[in-house]
Amino acid sequence: MHAQAAADALPMTGTPDSRAIAAGQLVEQATGGNLDAFEELVRRFQRRVYGFAYQHLRDFDEAYDLTQEIFVKLYRNLARYDAARPFEPWFWKLAANTTINYRRRRVPTPTDQTADRAQAGTESTLPVHDPALVDALAQLDPAYRLPVLLHYYADLPLEQVAQSLNLTVPAIKSRLHRARAMLRNTLAESEEAGTQ
Amino acid sequence: MTATLTCARVRVLLEAYVDGDLVLRDASSAQAVREHLNSCADCRRQHEQAVSLPFRMRGLRSPAPPESLIASVMNSITPAPATSRRAWGLLVPEAILVAFILWYLSGLDGLTALASGAWSDLQGLAFWGSGVSPLPSIPVADVLLLGAFIALTALAAYHLSVLARLEQSGMVHLREQRGA
Repeated sequence: MHAQAAADALPMTGTPDSRAIAAGQLVEQATGGNLDAFEELVRRFQRRVYGFAYQHLRDFDEAYDLTQEIFVKLYRNLARYDAARPFEPWFWKLAANTTINYRRRRVPTPTDQTADRAQAGTESTLPVHDPALVDALAQLDPAYRLPVLLHYYADLPLEQVAQSLNLTVPAIKSRLHRARAMLRNTLAESEEAGTQ
Repeated sequence: MTATLTCARVRVLLEAYVDGDLVLRDASSAQAVREHLNSCADCRRQHEQAVSLPFRMRGLRSPAPPESLIASVMNSITPAPATSRRAWGLLVPEAILVAFILWYLSGLDGLTALASGAWSDLQGLAFWGSGVSPLPSIPVADVLLLGAFIALTALAAYHLSVLARLEQSGMVHLREQRGA
């Protein structure tokens, strides 16, 4: 299942397109009990949500579980969505909160697992796109990784990332700058190690 | 004339410089970073890395979701038909008990006899309770049948309340697969 999934890798950026307005309508219909509308909503967001979960957890099964949990939570909270506001920031806030809670419940952390597997020599043999960057992302503290993924992966503007994480825009900018500096350092170190 | 910066300081400012925030916030620092980059090859490499990093992150590929994901989500939010079937199965004991009683009493005549018997028994008890008449002798079979009816009514009421709760929970019957 996952081998096929990895082979059919997708660009990290799934552009929120003109269907954003229709997404609001789908939410309205789904809130009224229309399961087909909700299924269409899942279909539209599944790639970005699954990719987000995978980049955050670095584990196919856990990404699957987290994605499912995010959508189930979405369904349970549809009635709380204010149709007067844009859907995506609200949805990604819910996704971010679900991710934070999911991480709190799980032991060990994904970075630990990755390290354990690497030590045990059982690291996945699936092809990884830009492995140096993926490893550097995995080493980031979740408090920095989450805004990076929301901004660069989910393609949310800074204002929406700030709303999603209950932070100010300057605070998000600061985190993104620090995260990028840490990634840059990690990448430089791995390049140096590679050339030696 | 701008102040010269150390490599360490430049690397702290690089992200803000790349994003254009530094020039808005502190134009002289931005100028100093620019001048430093012209003269420092190591920091120039870091700058190139800083410029390319957002593009690399946006271009990063993630695995496609497994095909089973949508079905799995939809299964999690829709009521499991098996649960409803199991719930209706709760009424089977009542149905068996009713069928047995009807068979035992041989239809409508038996039911009428039972009703009139039960009525006269209750009347006898009422008169005994008010001190008008002595304690009536009630056949053991009647007592057993009365107990069976009371048990049947209580059981049916409980099972119907279970079914009513299932109906109220409606379509949002979440099957938390992870059991979290």
